[in-house]
Amino acid sequence: MSADEDKYPSESGRRRFVKGVVGSAALGSVATGTAATIEMATSAAGAGGGITEYFAIENTDGPAPRGMPIVPIEIRNDNEIHGVWPEPETRTIQGQEVTVAETDIGGTTYSTTWYQYCGVQTYEGIQPDADQDNAFRSTGGTYDWQDDVDDGSVMTLDMFDDYEQWGNGIGRDGLGKPAVANWRSEGDVQTIPVQVLRSPEVSKMIDGEGKYSSLSGDTRSFLEAATQDDVMAWLNKCTHFCCVPGFKAFGGSARFGGEDSVYCQCHQSIYDPFSPVKRTFTALPRSE
Amino acid sequence: MTDDTDTTDERTDGGETGIVPPDDETPAWSERKARKQGLSRLTYEYFERARREDQDLRQQSSYVERDVLGFPAWPHEMVRNLALTSFFVGMIIILSATLPPHIDAPANPSSTPEVILPDWYLYWSFGLLKLGFLNPELSLLGGEKLMTDRTYGVLANLVVVGIVAIVPFLNKGSARRPVEQPFWASVGVAGVVFSFTIAVLSIKNLVPIEEGLLNDLTFLLPIVAGFISYAVLKSMREGYMFNLNRRYYRLRPPK
Repeated sequence: MSADEDKYPSESGRRRFVKGVVGSAALGSVATGTAATIEMATSAAGAGGGITEYFAIENTDGPAPRGMPIVPIEIRNDNEIHGVWPEPETRTIQGQEVTVAETDIGGTTYSTTWYQYCGVQTYEGIQPDADQDNAFRSTGGTYDWQDDVDDGSVMTLDMFDDYEQWGNGIGRDGLGKPAVANWRSEGDVQTIPVQVLRSPEVSKMIDGEGKYSSLSGDTRSFLEAATQDDVMAWLNKCTHFCCVPGFKAFGGSARFGGEDSVYCQCHQSIYDPFSPVKRTFTALPRSE
Repeated sequence: MTDDTDTTDERTDGGETGIVPPDDETPAWSERKARKQGLSRLTYEYFERARREDQDLRQQSSYVERDVLGFPAWPHEMVRNLALTSFFVGMIIILSATLPPHIDAPANPSSTPEVILPDWYLYWSFGLLKLGFLNPELSLLGGEKLMTDRTYGVLANLVVVGIVAIVPFLNKGSARRPVEQPFWASVGVAGVVFSFTIAVLSIKNLVPIEEGLLNDLTFLLPIVAGFISYAVLKSMREGYMFNLNRRYYRLRPPK
């Protein structure tokens, strides 16, 4: 056989066959390698999210998609303000064991998935069985009156004694006394910001007085169970871009009609704490 | 350089290097794009004629142009580059050694600063996200909006970037100065003013103008600026033509 003679002429199909085998093997190994790399480099998606119906303080203006979830509260030891955190239990959902914390509050199913958005779903304290107590702890810096309260001390009812007259020059006085707190965030973990508000409007909403007469029955029964002594609370994370808004916290809010509401300074979203509404969103899965 | 002996007339020394002298690549008058409109055609012909006369003068002179276009990368350019590099590296080292490092306290997760804005050169895009007031509530949908305000804001970005991308295709730009094409120049002025007003809109929580008025000004000011610049440029044409003629004939009096 001479040197320039082709040992495998194209009619034999040999070269085409070898190209096919080598090519598919190469492609296959690239795909396998990619999958293995992604599997190694990323963590599992987690579980415990999904479509969730919740009670929110209504978003009345701005780009936010929905209201911020109300945190049901309870008064313990006659004085301390705690958030309600249902007992965690393990359920088998679609063949997977998932820890669930939900309970019935005033006829509404209250679940900790209400708070699983804006990255809060990855916070340690949002795990249903996290080793945390449920007291609201004071965080200064937003309201002047909280400068007199030690950071991290448990919020108590008597801090809000003057709530029927309180005002800070923003909007109308007497709408209630707000506080910034953190919740289930003790130790070296990420902080879950919560806003606590003691307002005379809360009992008016429960009774459906005056302008609150249009509140539906299940809203009022939820409010009745979720508030106590005129104290209400909500998770203080703007549903738009996860900033921390404030009730009567920013002077600029008056220019956008938010002086008597919760105003988010980033994109001028406004939430009305005196307009509880039922909303639905897709809770993000917690990280495992 | 084999042709050197055959050459009798003056020529550059780069005959065979493939380097073409700049004069050879300038197209002739006729090859130039034909200018159709009066003023831009006139302007163009004047400049072209002046350039041609300069070129003729250059060719008549006995000065030999050398086409040395640069210096070799090694060592000439490299020595210069190393000198510059060591200067800046030295500056960085001196600055990092003399200035104490500054690290702020960790952010407070329970509060967001009262004023929170992107970098100033992104204000225009940030302002486009705040166009919710232009998002119509359609009566067809029972007073609902067709899309959410945030989708609307993102689409507004696409529209603006799209227009910026399309304008060069609409106007291929034979004009070299605004006065030659007042319309497109005023379109440009309106765009520049709009980029400013939309940036102001993005910081509307800091601007001491009532919100509704600011919304209106954002869109009206660019239009007003466009009209004014159109009027000004239109009225400048006469004077511009006069100036052009005067300068041309002062430099190159008619033979």
